[in-house]
Amino acid sequence: MRRRDFLKLVAASGAGSVVFTGCQVTEWAGTWGDGNPSREFKIQSPVMNPEDMQYGRDAYFATVYPQSSGGSGLIIRVFEGRAKKVEGNPDFPLNMGRTSPIDQALVHEVYHPDRLAGPMRLRDGAERGSGDYDAISWDEALSELSTALSEAGGAENSIVLLTGPVSGTNAVLAREFGSAAGARHVQIDLDEKLVLREAMRRVFGSEHLPSIDLANTRFLLNFSAEFLHHWISPTQFNIAYGEFRQGGENPRGTYWHVGPQLSATASNADRWFPINPGTEGMVALAMARVMSDEGLVDSGAVGSIYGDALGSIDVAQVATMSGLSADQIAELARRFAEAGPSVAIAGTHAAAHTNGLFNLSAVFSLNFLVGSVGVPGGLILNPDSPLPDDIPNPTSGISYRDLTTLATDINNGVTQLVLIHGTNPVYSYPDASGLGEALAIAPRVISFSSFLDETSVYADLILPDLTVLENWGVHVPDPGPGYPIVGLQQPVVQPFVDARAFGDLLMQASAQAGISLPWQSNQELVQTTVNALVGQGGNIEADDPREFMVTMQAQGGWWNDGATAAAAPSAPAQPLTPLEPEFAGDAGEYPFYMLPYPHNSLGHGEFAHLPWLQALPEPISTAVWTTWVELNPATADDLDVEIGDIVEVTSPSGSFELPVYVNPAAAPTVALIPMGQGHEHYTRYAEDRGENPFDIVAPQIESETGALAWAATRVRIEKVDRKVRLPRFEGYVTPRQLEEFPIIQVTRPESE
Amino acid sequence: MPRWGMVIDLDRCTGCQACVVACQAENNIPINTEEVFHQRRAIEWIRIERYWEGEWPNVKARYIPVPCMHCDNAPCEPVCPVYATYHSDQGLNVQVYNRCIGTRYCSANCHWHVRFFNFWEPKWPESLQEQLNPNVSVRSRGVMEKCTFCVQRINHAQQAATVEGREVEDGEFTTACAAACPTRAIVFGDLLNEGSEVAQMASTSNRAYRLLEDLGTDPAVFYLKKIDPDAPESQDAGH
Repeated sequence: MRRRDFLKLVAASGAGSVVFTGCQVTEWAGTWGDGNPSREFKIQSPVMNPEDMQYGRDAYFATVYPQSSGGSGLIIRVFEGRAKKVEGNPDFPLNMGRTSPIDQALVHEVYHPDRLAGPMRLRDGAERGSGDYDAISWDEALSELSTALSEAGGAENSIVLLTGPVSGTNAVLAREFGSAAGARHVQIDLDEKLVLREAMRRVFGSEHLPSIDLANTRFLLNFSAEFLHHWISPTQFNIAYGEFRQGGENPRGTYWHVGPQLSATASNADRWFPINPGTEGMVALAMARVMSDEGLVDSGAVGSIYGDALGSIDVAQVATMSGLSADQIAELARRFAEAGPSVAIAGTHAAAHTNGLFNLSAVFSLNFLVGSVGVPGGLILNPDSPLPDDIPNPTSGISYRDLTTLATDINNGVTQLVLIHGTNPVYSYPDASGLGEALAIAPRVISFSSFLDETSVYADLILPDLTVLENWGVHVPDPGPGYPIVGLQQPVVQPFVDARAFGDLLMQASAQAGISLPWQSNQELVQTTVNALVGQGGNIEADDPREFMVTMQAQGGWWNDGATAAAAPSAPAQPLTPLEPEFAGDAGEYPFYMLPYPHNSLGHGEFAHLPWLQALPEPISTAVWTTWVELNPATADDLDVEIGDIVEVTSPSGSFELPVYVNPAAAPTVALIPMGQGHEHYTRYAEDRGENPFDIVAPQIESETGALAWAATRVRIEKVDRKVRLPRFEGYVTPRQLEEFPIIQVTRPESE
Repeated sequence: MPRWGMVIDLDRCTGCQACVVACQAENNIPINTEEVFHQRRAIEWIRIERYWEGEWPNVKARYIPVPCMHCDNAPCEPVCPVYATYHSDQGLNVQVYNRCIGTRYCSANCHWHVRFFNFWEPKWPESLQEQLNPNVSVRSRGVMEKCTFCVQRINHAQQAATVEGREVEDGEFTTACAAACPTRAIVFGDLLNEGSEVAQMASTSNRAYRLLEDLGTDPAVFYLKKIDPDAPESQDAGH
C-alpha cells in the first residue's frame, strides 16, 4: 500500500480519530497532496493540548517584584495553584505592562529543584562551609533562633542583621528589630548604587535615585551607565527609550555614549566615544569648559555650578588622558548645549573607580548647565516616600570600607550572632573583605536564604524564607516614576516547600526571646503599613482600610501622579574637585585595564541560579553558561589567541584562567569580563561555572564613599596552551552580515 | 479570516531579550543547556541575532529579533511528506506535532533557520514541570517545533469573542514576546484588518521591509529599518 493510500485510509477510518486526536477538520476543499494549495483540504490542529485535557481555571494576581532593579508591577497567571507565567501589570507606572527577562524567570525561583525544602541545622561535627546539613522541624528551628537571640542580646552590636536592599515593610521590620534587640542592621547593595546615591545627595540634594523623562528628551548623553540592561531601573528606561526613538510626537531622539566599553546598552547609541576607564568626570569638566569658553551656556551659571573646578581644566590634556580628541570633546559639548532638551547621566563603570563620586557628580552637574533638572525632557528627581516618616525610604547600603570593619568586629568577638537575609556578600566582594573568614569563626550564624549560596553555607542554621510570589510585603521602588509610588507584594501561590516568611520567623522568635515587636505577623505589618496610605488620594479612593487593601491588591500598588518632588536646586550643594582615577597594579607589569561588567541577565551573580537566565545569550558576545574575557582583535593577534583559547588573567590580587572571546569593539587596552559566574554554591545551574571576577579585583576603594572600586584593577594576560569551545549563539548565524544581503537594514534619520 | 502578522521596529529594539524568555516561559521550550549550545541545537522560537559592522574603533553591534516568518508561500510546507507542517486559514504556518515523523525536510528548506528539531526527549526537573503551560503541548523526541505566534492565545481570544458574539478586536490579545517587549518594538495583529496597528505600520511606514523578501515567500513578519545617522545614503530596502 502506498503511503498516500494509507493516510487516506487512516483518515477515513475510526483509527483516524486516534491518530488525529486534537485535530479539527475545518474545511474540505480538495484532495490529498495534489500540490495545489488552494484545492488541498486543510486539517487544523490547535497545536496545544486539547481543551478536554485541561482541568481548572486561570486566576491572575497582581504583585510586585522588589528585587528587580527599580521594582516591577507584575500580573501572575496561576493555574490550579501553580504560578505559570509572569506578565507586566499594565497599571503599574514603572513598567506599564512590560517585563524584563529577570521578571519572566521569577516563576523558576518558586519551583527550583534545589530550593531548600525546610529548616536545616549544620550536622554535628561538620565544619561551616561544608554544606552538610540535617533537616529539622520548625519548632526546633524557631527554638534555636530564639535561644540565639536571647544569648546574644544585650550588648550593643552583638547581633548583626545583614540584608539586601530593603524598603517599606522589610525596612521597618529591620529597624524595629534593631532597636528592640540592640541589633545592628547592615544593608548590602551594589557599590555603584551607593556612589550614585551620594552623588544625588551632593549634586541635587536628593535622597533618591533619578528618573529621566526620556520620551521628551532630544539628546541623551550617557557616560557608561548600563541603563537599558542593568542600571537602577532598566524596564522603566526601556519603555521610555522606545518613545525616545519612535514615540511619534517628537523627532527621533539622539543618543551618544561615552565610555570604555561598547556594552549591550552602548551598542544602541547613534555614536560611541570610547574613552579610557575612569575619565568620565574629566571629560564632563572639559565639556563644561568648552561650553563656557564658547559662550554656549550662561557663564554665571558655569561659575555657580562648577566653582573653581574648571580653572585647572585644559581640554587638550583631558583629551590625551581620556583617549578622545579635543575636537571630539568640543563636538560633545556643542551638541549637548544646542540639541535640547538634553540630559546627561552616568553610572555602572563610571561609579566603580577610585574617583567614582567625582565622575558621577561632574556628569550629573552638566544638567544644570542646560537647565535639564526637573523639567520635561530632563532629569527627574523623585519625591520622598508617601509613607509616614517612621517607615524608611530606600537608603544606601554599607560601603566596602565599613564592611571590612564589620568583618573585623566579628573577628574580634564584638558580634555574637549574625543573621543573614537576602544577600550573598561572600560571593559579591573580594576575599580581601575578610567577611568569609569572619563568618567561619563567628560565634553563631543564622541564614534565611531560600538557596544554599556562598554566604548561607557558613550558617549553623538555615531557616528558608518564602520566595517573592509566596510572600507579603510593601515596597517603595527607587527610582520611582517621578511621583510617589508604593508597591504591594502579595502571595499568589501557596508555599511550594516547607518555608516560612522571614518576617514571621523574626517576630515569632523575638517574642519567644522576650524581644517585643509591634506586630504578630508579617501580614499584620503589611496591613499596618498600607493603612498609612489611606486618605492620601492617588489611584485608590477608598476610605475604608479593608476596601483600600483589597483595591490595592487588585491594582498592585498605590501611586499619586499629581504629586512631584520639591523644586530642583539650581546648582550642586557641594563643590567639585577634579580627581583622576587610580588603578591597582603597575602599568608595565599589568598592561590591561580589567573591566568587569554586570551581566544583562545574571546581574552581579544574584540570578545565576535561574536556568532561563543562564541560557540567555549575553547580547554582545552571545556567550552563555560560563565566563570569558573579551579582547580586541589586535590584542588577540599579539597574544596569538582566538576564540576559545585559554588565557591566564592575573591581577595583583590573584589569577584565573578564562576562554577568549575576540570582540571587535573591545578597546586594545581593556580586558572585559562579565560578572555572574564562578559560584561554588548556588544550585546545580550555577555551581562550578566560569569564574567570579571579584576573586581577582583588587580592594581599591572609591576615595570618598568607601565603596568598592571594582573597575580599578589592572591585569596581565598570558596564553595557556589549551582551548575550549566557548558556548555561544554566534555561529548559528554569521558574526557579520553579507553586504549584498543585509539582514538588518538601516536608513538615515529624516532630518539628517 | 484574519492573517496574523507582526511588525518589529529595529529602531526600538535594544536587544534586552525579554521576548526570548517570555516565549520560553509561555511555550514550554526546553532549557537550553550548555551542551545544546555546543551542539548548535539550542531552541529559541524567537532569538536575538547580533551582527558586527566595521572595525575598531568605528565598530557597531546591531540586534534583530527573529521569530518564524509565517510565510504565505512557506517553503517548509510543501516538503513535509506527512502534512505535519501546513498553512492555516489564518495565515499561520503550523506544526502538527503528533503527525511529525522527523524528516527535518522543513528545517532544511527554511531560509530563516527558525525550525527546531527535538533530538532528545525534553527534560525538566520534576519541580520545574509545575511551571509548564497547560495550554501548550510538550514536544517529544523526534518532532520538529517552531514559533506558533502563540496560537493558544489566538484560539483563546477567538473562543471568547465567539461566545460573546463579536469579532476579535485589535490589541485584545498579543503574543508572549510582544507582551513582554519593554520598548514596544514588537507589535502583533491582523494584517488584513486595515485599522489594526500592524497593518498601519506595515503599509504606511517607509522603513518597512521583510527578511529575505526576494525569495517571494510573502513573510508575515515585517521589520522597520534601524535608523543610523551613519547609514550610507544609497542604502535601499533591497530585497
